[in-house]
Formats: sequence, C-alpha cells, structure tokens
Amino acid sequence: MARQSSAPVLYHGGPNGPSLAVLAALEESGLGIECRQVRLIYGERHTLPGIEDSQALDFAVEGEGPVLVIGGEALSESVFLAQYFDEATGGCGLQPPDAYARWQMRMWCRQATERLAPASAYLGNIAWSQRQKLDGLTPAQFTEMVSPIRSSDLRERWQELFDGAVDAAKVEDSKAKVAQFAERVENQLADGREWLMGAFSIADLETYAWLNPMRFLEHDAFMRRDACVAWLDRVGTRPSVAKVLALADQGDPNTIFAPGPEINRWG
Amino acid sequence: MAEVTLYHWEPNANSGKPMLALEEKGVAWNSHYINMLTFDQHQPEYLAINPQGTIPAMLHGERVLTESTAIMEYVDEAFGGPALMPADPRDRWRIRWWMKFMDQWLGPSFSMIGWCTFIGPALAEKSEQEREAMIARIPLPERRTAWRKAMFAEFSEAELAESRRRVGHGVAMIEEELGKREYIASDQYSLADINIFNSTYMLPVGNPDLVGADKTPNLWRWLRTVYRRPAVQRTWAMGSGRFTDRFIAIMEEFA
Repeated sequence: MARQSSAPVLYHGGPNGPSLAVLAALEESGLGIECRQVRLIYGERHTLPGIEDSQALDFAVEGEGPVLVIGGEALSESVFLAQYFDEATGGCGLQPPDAYARWQMRMWCRQATERLAPASAYLGNIAWSQRQKLDGLTPAQFTEMVSPIRSSDLRERWQELFDGAVDAAKVEDSKAKVAQFAERVENQLADGREWLMGAFSIADLETYAWLNPMRFLEHDAFMRRDACVAWLDRVGTRPSVAKVLALADQGDPNTIFAPGPEINRWG
Repeated sequence: MAEVTLYHWEPNANSGKPMLALEEKGVAWNSHYINMLTFDQHQPEYLAINPQGTIPAMLHGERVLTESTAIMEYVDEAFGGPALMPADPRDRWRIRWWMKFMDQWLGPSFSMIGWCTFIGPALAEKSEQEREAMIARIPLPERRTAWRKAMFAEFSEAELAESRRRVGHGVAMIEEELGKREYIASDQYSLADINIFNSTYMLPVGNPDLVGADKTPNLWRWLRTVYRRPAVQRTWAMGSGRFTDRFIAIMEEFA
C-alpha cells in the first residue's frame, strides 16, 4: 500500500465542541495546515487514511474530537493540539508567557475538559444526536459502523446513544455541572476582564466550544449571568472563531455532537 | 528556609509526582507530610491552604498551586535545573497526551483498586460514627462519594472488573509505547516518566501477573532505568511503610 502524503492534515467534525476549539486555535496560529471535515456521527473519524500510529485517536479521553495527522501519527485532545499550534509557531499568544499564569490556564482547561465537557457532551448528544441522526441505521449497520472503534468504553457510549438510553442521574449531574461552569465564568469575569485569563488564551476557546451550545438547552444556567453571556458573544465574534463558525456547511453548528468524554467514574 | 513548601502524602501516585519533579530539578523544598489516612487533608489548618482538601498542594512564596500534574509543569518551567520537557512541540504534545491518559483514564482505575484493597481496609477498625464524621468534613462532593465507597466497601463487582480491564489494557499500551521510544512519549526522561512511574513502580510486586522481565520487557527495562535515578532513590527514601518497602524490594531485584 502506498504511503500517504506526509503533509499534516487536521480532521475535524465541524465548528462545535473540541473541533471548534482546535480550528479556531489553528486560525489564531496562522499555520497553513490542511483541514478536512468528517462526519463524526457516522463514525468517520475511525476510518481516516494515512495513519500508522493510531493510539492517540483510538484512546483519546476526549472521545470523538479532532485528529491531527503528522507523518502517520495521529494527535488528539483539543487543548494539547492548541498548545501544539502555539508552540510550533514559537508562541502566537494562545498561552500566557508567565509560568504561574500558564498553571492557571492549565487548571482552568483541566476543569473545563473534566467537568464541563462530559456534561455538555452528554446533554448535547441526547438533544441533538440521539436517534434522529442515527435513525436511518439498522442495528446491523450500526454494529458495522462502530466496529473499527478500538476503545470499548467509547464504543459503549456509542451504543447508549444508538439505544436511546438516558440516565436520569447523569442528566441531573450534567445540568448541575453546566450551571456551575457558567457561574464559574461569571465569577472569573467579575473584575471586568475581557478574557478568562486576562489575555486571550486557549481557555477562552475550550470553554466557549463546550459552553456556548448549552445556551440553547440550559437557559436557566445563563439567567442573570450577563458577564458570561457577553463573554460568549465576544468569543463568538472574535475573527478566528467567527471565520470557523462560518464553515458550518448545514444547519446550526451548535447541534454538532458525537460521543465525548465519559463522566468521571471514580473520584 | 526554602521558598517552596510541598504538602504531600507518601511518594506514590499524586503526591509522589511533585516530590520527584522537585528532586529531579534540584529545587530546595520544605516537606509538610499530610497523613491521608488520618484525614489531615480535611483539617482546618490544611483547608486554609487548599480549600478543596485535595493533596498535594505547593506553596511557592505567596503562590498556592494544586493538582499534581499541573504542579509538575509549573516546577519545570519556574525553576532552573534539567529540563523535564523536551523542546520539540510534537514530543511535548505526546507527553501531555500520556499524562492525561494516566490522570483521567488509567490512574482512576489503579486508584479504585488501591482504595478498595488498601485504603478502605486500613480504616475498617474505626466505628461507623467516626467514619461518617470523617466523610462529613470532606469539601468536594465527588470525594465524599469516593471515600464513602472505600470506607464502607461499596464497590460493585462490575466497576472493579472494569478497573481491572483498564489496568490490563493500560499496562499493554505502556509496554507498546516503550517499544517505540526509550522513555514514555519521547527519547528524553520527562514529566511523563515521572507521572507514570508514580503509578507503575509497584507493579512488579502488586501485579506480577501483568508485569515481569519476560511478560513486559520494555516496561521492565524502563522501570530498571528509572529506579536507578538518584532523584528517584532520594524521593522514595522519604516514604514510609509499604510504599518504601515495595520500592526497596523491587530495587533489590534491579540492583
């Protein structure tokens, strides 16, 4: 089999969630990396060409996030891809220059990926992906579609989606976490700062990517959180983000979901 | 008096990560031992440092830092000494990927099994009332749930089986990774090695069914190399009880 071109390619699912964060970070960096959209909800992320080392794709904690392929190696996890772009340019302003401020940004991003992302993914998938997008598939077709997925816990989240399973405790937990994160953003902005870490950073992109779609599902979480809502609007109209949002080829980009990170199973 | 104080438990898992990172960098630091099994971490003196009641925490001057992996990254960037992250952006990406995989996917499974087999039984002699009082002092709701499960042996067979599956799978992935490169994620000793060593150093004793010179030759080679590092030896000499006993027993095999 002929080796694929070694030029890097970013495979993404369209402008929402982790794909949005990474596309916007790439735009901020100015790096000329080719982007190709795949339909995450049809499992296309698991049949990408030109990959010799797929470990980071197969076992990404993030679930169905974007994949950057460089020299046959699949790179995943949106925050780390954004850091990669920043560092590959020698620093394009996506990470603070000071070690302590970088610690603060990493802590913020860790909270966003560990608490907000699983909650947003759970609610978003139930609202917009469950059944209606997979409805056309027979159980046999679905089984064939998910058969290339190597991670059995990710495959299990796909199965729950196809089965229409809804865990009331997980829904409640996710709603609470979305509201807590909106409050966290509101508190962070209380001193009048423009961006979450003061200067614009990956924290703004990652948080926006998971929190913005929740405005359309969890209205109460954003009530009387004016600073949070104004910040979401500010991020959405930043040139890099606005350009990426315009990539949405059909429908509302806020509804693009596929199985994401699992809700913490321990501790 | 050093300007860095680390609040930590034993050189193991999360506490061991910043201990070893500080030793590798050659940073002078004050050790403040927090006994997790007597719940020092939920006493007012410690909650004044870290209101979340999680360990470790580090003071650097006026700054308070929490979360073991994030502390390590800060230590590497804020102090001189040998670099614990390579310069190449792709290697740096790979190191972060492995640390997240350990912290959020594999580590919790190691932890669940450890809490079920060691932490819970270590507190079993306390009365139900005492255990309930200890749980009531925990600030974070998810930590309250975790401690309750450990103290009252509430782990289901299904979740323990899933943790065992993940441990087996994770060890196989580490073995594969160390067949590609000299160290985890790059050809340079890095934060990824410090992170993963802290959760795997005891496997030759704790899981001889999974790890051994013949079963996992790459992991065995890496363990032997890391065990012999002077900073690793100094860090585990600070430990006590089963943590240091295990370290010494395995070190004798590697000597």
